[in-house]
This record gives sequence, structure tokens and C-alpha cells, in this order.
Amino acid sequence: MINFVIFFFFAALAVIFALMVILHRNPVVSALSLVVSLFSLAVMYILLEVPFLAALQVIIYAGAIMVLFLFVIMLLNLQRRREETTRPVQQFLGFTASAAFAVALIYYLAKYAVMTLPNGPFLADARTIGIRLFETYFFPFEMVSILLLAAIVGALLLSARGLPSPDPERSEGANAPEVPGR
Amino acid sequence: MAFDGLDIALSLLKIVIVLAALLNVTPIMVWVERRGSALIQDRVGPNRVGPFGLFQAIADAAKFLLKEDVIPREANKWLYTIAPMFGLIPALTTIAVIPWGRPFRLSDGRLFEPIVADVNVGILLIFALASLSVYGIVTAGWASNNKYSLFGGIRSSAQMISYELALTLSAISALMVAGSLRLTDVVWKQTGSFVLFDTIRIPAWNIFSPAMWLSCIVFSVAAFAETNRLPFDFAEADAELVAGYHTEYSAMKFALFFMSEYMAMATMSALVTTLFLGGWDIPWYNEPATFLGFILSVIAFVVKVTFLLLTFVWVRWTIPRLKYDILMRVGWKVFLPLAVVNLLLVSWFIAERWI
Repeated sequence: MINFVIFFFFAALAVIFALMVILHRNPVVSALSLVVSLFSLAVMYILLEVPFLAALQVIIYAGAIMVLFLFVIMLLNLQRRREETTRPVQQFLGFTASAAFAVALIYYLAKYAVMTLPNGPFLADARTIGIRLFETYFFPFEMVSILLLAAIVGALLLSARGLPSPDPERSEGANAPEVPGR
Repeated sequence: MAFDGLDIALSLLKIVIVLAALLNVTPIMVWVERRGSALIQDRVGPNRVGPFGLFQAIADAAKFLLKEDVIPREANKWLYTIAPMFGLIPALTTIAVIPWGRPFRLSDGRLFEPIVADVNVGILLIFALASLSVYGIVTAGWASNNKYSLFGGIRSSAQMISYELALTLSAISALMVAGSLRLTDVVWKQTGSFVLFDTIRIPAWNIFSPAMWLSCIVFSVAAFAETNRLPFDFAEADAELVAGYHTEYSAMKFALFFMSEYMAMATMSALVTTLFLGGWDIPWYNEPATFLGFILSVIAFVVKVTFLLLTFVWVRWTIPRLKYDILMRVGWKVFLPLAVVNLLLVSWFIAERWI
């Protein structure tokens, strides 16, 4: 009974704040709403009796990724920007595509996810997940880490473009007064 | 699992004890910090209200409650109001998974575990909630709509993300030795002692282990950074940023930030005690599983936490603030590699079955 109440409370919270993410104009409020939504999802994991996944959900998504998001949004200072006007064709295409996606999503969720509940408790403690990751799913696990590494290198490359090179001679020159017309 | 009235009463009792202890940390620590700083700087410190100025905290609380609560006109009112609560909730809840005494049997045979929630992912829960505490500071900084506040918030978020890595990696070594994420197991692993040269008995605390003292140091330094204390208090940095993220705050909202800072300090001290200083273990003494043993172990735990809290104060008034680039460089290029090397060392020791 109490599980039921907790489930519906946090499910409602997750949905309301997920809506806030896309409906609110202020990007900072959107990011914070996403944090609340992700936190509510972590409560779902606790109700499924897998506190390990709940803790990971909060640490990784709410605690690390969203902090970075917020960091970037605050630095960009988007507050005064006005929304770009969209043409009716764009609006039509946007709404149609999202509606089609929503219908497909609900259809397949109803068909596959809701109908087949796993029978018996499903084990997802730290030990089980660790053994699975390093035995069965070792290759995909390592591939994901290489993918992330590639993303980091790419981001570094993009942000370092246009900066003075870390040559010791050159960086000495950077402190010198600028020569006009150079 | 069957619960009866006594179980619920005991749980409530534990919650009340822990919360009362935690809430009283703030006024006591404010007094200790003021008198301690005065002692270190050869001043007198507040000594007007009550004996040794002990009631100064009560006077401060009255002032916080009675002052005008100003909300800046250009601030985002909602976020400005809930930001202090964002900071306070993690500070209040993380203490729940830390064991603070030796379990003992009640007269009817049931075991009394002095921990509010003995979950099997205890340490992860602490890291999860602690990682949320940054939102209080960041939101406060942004919602104030003030350059200095924003700087404080942004600095703090970058700092906390950076030092979280060293903090977590150095905690992992203690968890690997215990073979569990449950903090009660970590403490039980550290009870007893190991014998050196057949004569010297050393408590089996993690800090005395040849592979673990390094992670204890890294963890403690990262704990200073995570709690935004000097020499890492860049969120506040009163020399550069007025008062950082809480520049615009006044009255009780400001006091909430103050409280969450001291409570985070207390939680971090309790965590260092649990992971590296043997938790409630009394060295060279085997606590009996009775009420007496329980009381003695609680006293041992409180003494250790108090020592660490005093260290927090001592360091604050001894070491000046670093530069921000040094903070980042030290975090990523010194403490993170140290934590990784230490992790490899501990793994090696465990693989060779030396610890």
C-alpha cells in the first residue's frame, strides 16, 4: 500500500518535471527540473529493490552529468535571448513527427514492455552487475569507454582550435605587447 | 519481515538521536570556530554572552530569525527561495547510513543496530546525496542574479566535480578491503588489531594499513574541497567574491547555508572516521556486546569525529586560500593520479592476500 502511494507520488513528480523540462522557457529551470525528474526515477529503482541502480542513477545523471549541463548553461547566459520564429511548415512537420513518434512509442511499450514482466526478483546488486560487465558484456563495455574517449579527444580538439599553441617560445610571445596590424 | 511497535519506536529513537546530534553540531562548531580562530590568532574572541561566550550561538540564532529576509528584485524568486533547502536536505540525510556504535542485544534478545538505515549500498548513497549538495550552491549563485554569486556557484560546481573523483577513488580502496559497500562491514573489518614483530599490537584501522594511509590523506583533502572549506573555499572566497554564492542572502536563508556547511563537515568527519579511523572501534579493547560496550563505542566515535572537526577548524585558520588554477591543477594532476596509484596498490595487496 505504502509502495503504491510512493510510486504514484514520484511517478507524477517525474512526469510533471519532465514536462517542465520541455515547456519552461528558462534553460536553467529546465535543467533543474530534469534533475528532479531523474531523482524521481531513482526512487522507482528503490521500489524495484535495486538500490544499487538507484544510487548510480543519482550519482551519474543527477550528480555529475546535470551539474556539467548547468555549468555550461550558466556560462552561456541565455537569459535575454528571444525565441526564433518558426514557419508554419516547420511547426506542422514538428508536431506530426512527434505525434507519430509518441504513438509508436506507446504502441511498442504496451506490446512488449508492459505485457512481459520478469518473473521472480531480478538481481542487480553490485556483484552481479560487475561480473556481468566484465564477463558477458566485456567487449561492449570497453567499446563504450573508447567511444567516450573519442568524444573527449574531439571536444579538446574543437576547443583548442584557435588558441595559441603550448610552445614555450610562442607563449612567451603571447605576453608581449601586440604589434598593431599583425 | 515483521515489524512491531518496539521496532518502529527504536527506529524513531535512532532518527531523533542522530538528527539532534547533527543539528547541535552547527551552534557548537560556530562557537569552536570563533574561539579557536581567536586562539590561533592570539585574540580573545566572542566572550560577552554567557560563560566563555557559549551563548553567542543562541544570540546569533535569535538575530537570524528576527532580521529582515530580503529577496533581491531581479532575483529568480522561486529558485532563490528553494536553493538553501536544496543544500540542507543532502546535509541532513547522508548521516543516516553511518554506523555510530557497536550493536548490542536488548533484554528480549533483539539486536539494536546503532545506524538509521543499514542499506547494502551505504557508501554509494552518501556519494549520491553528496553529489546533489552542489545544486544548493549553484542554484543560489545563479538565482541571486549577481556576478559574484554566479562566480561562486560556477567555481563550486567545477571544484566539486573535480574533487569528487579523488574522493570516490580513495574511498573505493577501503571498500575493496572490506569487500562490501555496507559501512557496517567496513567498520567490522577494522575491529581488532594486527601484531607487529610479535610484540606491538596495532589497531586494524585502515589508516595504519601500509596500503591505505595514502588514500586516507587523499580522501581527507578531497573532503575539505567537497565541503568548500578553506583552503578550498572558492565558492565563498570573501577576498575576491564579497561572500560568493550567498552574497545576497540574509536572515534565516543565510543561516541555512551556514548550517548545511557545518553539517556537511560533520558528515565528512564521520565518513573519514568510518572508512579509515575504525569507526566506533576502541583501540586495544574488545567492546562487549552489552549496553556498556555500546556507550563506550559511541563515545569513541564521537571523540574521533570531534578530533576531525577540530582539524577542520585548525586547518582553516592555518593555511591560506589557494589560487583557483592551483586548486584545479592539484585536483587533476596530483590527487587523482595518487588515488589511482593507491587503488592499484591496494588491488595488488589484495591479490597477493597480504591484507
